[in-house]
Amino acid sequence: MYPIWEGIFIHSAMYVAIVSAFHVLASHLTVAAAWFNLYLERRAVYEKRPELYEYLRRSALGLLVFAYVFGAMAGVGIWQTTTAANPRGISTLIHNFVFYWGAEWYMFLIDVVGIIAYYYSFGRVDPKTHLRLAWILALGGTGTLSIIVGILSFKLTPGLWLDTGVSLNGFFNPTFWPQIFLRFALMFPITAAWALLIVTGMPKTYPEREPIIRNAALMGLGGLAVALAIFVFWFYPVLPEHAKIIMRTRAIPPITYTVILGGIAATFAGLLFAWRFPQRQQRLIALGALFVLFAAIFGAERTREVLRKPDIIAGYMSSNQLVFNDLPARNIESEEQRLNETGMLGSLPFLPRPDQIVLPANSGLPNQTIAVGRTLVVQQCASCHNVSQQTALIGFNQRLALRSLADLLYLRRATTADLIKSRIRAIGGFQYMHPVVGTEEELSAMAQYLEYFVQQVHPSQPQVVTQR
Amino acid sequence: MNVGEMLKMMRDPLGAPFYPPALQVLLVVTWVLHIFFVTLALGSSLYAIWGFLRPTNYRLRLARVAARLTPNAVGLGIVTGIAPLLFVQTIYDPIWYASNTLTGFWSVSFIFVVMGGYSLAYLFYLKGSPDGKLLWSAVASFILLFFAGWIMHVLAAVSIRPERWMEWYAPNGIIDTRGVIFHAWNIPRLVFLLPLQAGLSLAVTLTLFGWYFRRNEEDAPFMQWVASLGRKLGLVISPLYALTGLLWATTEGVEFGIGWQVGITLVGVGVALTGYFFWLRQPIRYAPRTLLAWIGTLVIVGMVREAIRAVSLARFGYSVATYPYAFDWGSIIVFTVTTIVGVAVLAYLIMVMYQSGGVKHDAQISPRVERLGTIATGMLGAWFGFFLLVGLYATFFLR
Repeated sequence: MYPIWEGIFIHSAMYVAIVSAFHVLASHLTVAAAWFNLYLERRAVYEKRPELYEYLRRSALGLLVFAYVFGAMAGVGIWQTTTAANPRGISTLIHNFVFYWGAEWYMFLIDVVGIIAYYYSFGRVDPKTHLRLAWILALGGTGTLSIIVGILSFKLTPGLWLDTGVSLNGFFNPTFWPQIFLRFALMFPITAAWALLIVTGMPKTYPEREPIIRNAALMGLGGLAVALAIFVFWFYPVLPEHAKIIMRTRAIPPITYTVILGGIAATFAGLLFAWRFPQRQQRLIALGALFVLFAAIFGAERTREVLRKPDIIAGYMSSNQLVFNDLPARNIESEEQRLNETGMLGSLPFLPRPDQIVLPANSGLPNQTIAVGRTLVVQQCASCHNVSQQTALIGFNQRLALRSLADLLYLRRATTADLIKSRIRAIGGFQYMHPVVGTEEELSAMAQYLEYFVQQVHPSQPQVVTQR
Repeated sequence: MNVGEMLKMMRDPLGAPFYPPALQVLLVVTWVLHIFFVTLALGSSLYAIWGFLRPTNYRLRLARVAARLTPNAVGLGIVTGIAPLLFVQTIYDPIWYASNTLTGFWSVSFIFVVMGGYSLAYLFYLKGSPDGKLLWSAVASFILLFFAGWIMHVLAAVSIRPERWMEWYAPNGIIDTRGVIFHAWNIPRLVFLLPLQAGLSLAVTLTLFGWYFRRNEEDAPFMQWVASLGRKLGLVISPLYALTGLLWATTEGVEFGIGWQVGITLVGVGVALTGYFFWLRQPIRYAPRTLLAWIGTLVIVGMVREAIRAVSLARFGYSVATYPYAFDWGSIIVFTVTTIVGVAVLAYLIMVMYQSGGVKHDAQISPRVERLGTIATGMLGAWFGFFLLVGLYATFFLR
């Protein structure tokens, strides 16, 4: 339906993942840090501890520069990367939820204008007025979280939306409630690491240094414990069966779980250490904690994205951007069914008919059939897989690529067009794959391109025949 | 498949959740807010560089203010850019998504470029601007921010030329999935929308700056100088604005068959601005009116952009007026309620900044603003009650 952007060196999906993980770190930080700062500011006002303002001022500047602005930029970055990587997926979200996003935008404006007002009015306005600004920041941040979770969770569990087509059903979907509380709790360990980073940059003589470290660590530990409990007793049980199966397949590499669990363990240990020995905290430890959290978030967000494979919107649209189920409530019919009859080429925008594919001498492809096959493979597989050398990092005898089809086929000894075609035909039997769409001829062309691709990556196999 | 069929097929099958022309209006209005901050960031960035390169007492002082303004304006430019991004995707999804995927690498790079520009601007503000060090960071920041503008310009230019998409994506039918080529641009449009508007946004902001600090008597000569510099800038740039508008009309306007209309409008706007700045003898006193005039101008420019887009797509039978839609009441209610709450809270925040910005300590926030703050904060708290109720209703009753 749209041109495919595969990515350059790095797969398009990885651009999304990197930007998203950063955005999650920054945006989650803004919410919980706002609550933590509100807690401290209340103590500053009501217990008459003005020295706390020094920490609050530093924290606010860091949040303004790092979390709010970079978080906002990364938020726009998610739009740009998802648009380039999977435009129809994001289109489904926008056409369902544009007004929810509009509502989130107000909350976000409150956040950004709020942090500017909060930071620049330190010492200028009455403490009670400033405390109100802290309240607004905390509430505004929580508002953004509340709204975005509905949109995010919709992708995995659209729930009743698949029957009613009503956006409210999609928004308040089965994983919305557990996820909102889970994320809210998880924000506090991030904020604890942030607080450590800020306070360890202040002089050792700062009188509130140790109390802030202990408070932050305790809050982080509490948040982590609550988040784990929500995951085990609420979030995991409401996950669709399909997602639970995916969690146990090779679709999620074991290293991901190692990173997540290692990150949780390291965060727990780090916060415990901070709580027990506040005087021994240093900036480097806090930076390390933030790095560990980034890695864990990266793993967790990747896992969340993979759980709904092979769909981009579970039960509605597959990762190759085709609607595969009817949605009678919105008068939408499955596209896959029609395309299996007419064929993909020439039936969708940006998929030229075979006769329009004329192989120039400098194309680098051996023959026209392989060029046709490449077009189809890119259309149907590139959203999740590396399907060419363009999105591989090659060096030091290593080739780094996202779920490379060349490697997967090679591992399964499907290295000739015939074997590959059999494999393609059977692919719908995998739990995390949809059946390939298209006519017999198109499947053959795809198989020939994939044989050529396997040959490129693993040249030990017999050379591909250049004319067929 | 012809271009018209292609565009029709590319529209999202879900349709829009509201009357599409209303979304088009929101698109223009929010774009105006966005482009003001974006061009202000570019303008202040350029002034900061110039002020440090050709220093006098006043220029240096203003350059430091500009260095501080740049990252804040970038931040606000990004935040205000989200709204038009939402609306363009809703009613112009085929062209926006096609241009972003055709230019995928640059579309994705955009945000890294902006982050780089913002970071360098902040570096210059924090570490360089007090004593004029690290000027390279200000220059590099300006280049990156301008380059980000160039990327957005290319995305817009690609989006309104759907007849060429296949030629760009699949020459001879062989698809190019790299997205590294800048396929289309229009230099007069770029110059009109970015550098010239950057100068004008800066000019208007300088008069506002003088107006805001007008009560500080010891600073009066400086503020007078700043405001008249704003007027001079406006006076010099406005004729160029008219001329470049004419060039835009004779290139892109003519290409889409509305050269006359675009030309008359943009030249008219440029001449009117020239006249306005010429007769603006008291720039401090009339600064709010100058801002209104500039916002009005940006609205007209936004409408011209929209007209070019509409005319380009009308060639293939695509029209916002015929975009399918179905009212989605749930989301409309959530948006409306949040708008009311959001506007109240934002009004309070802006009033606090306004009343506390002119002094270093102990600003007096008026009782009326404090009352607004109490109400707005209460409304924000009540919003969660509303959200919870809607959620419970949708979860347990809506079938």
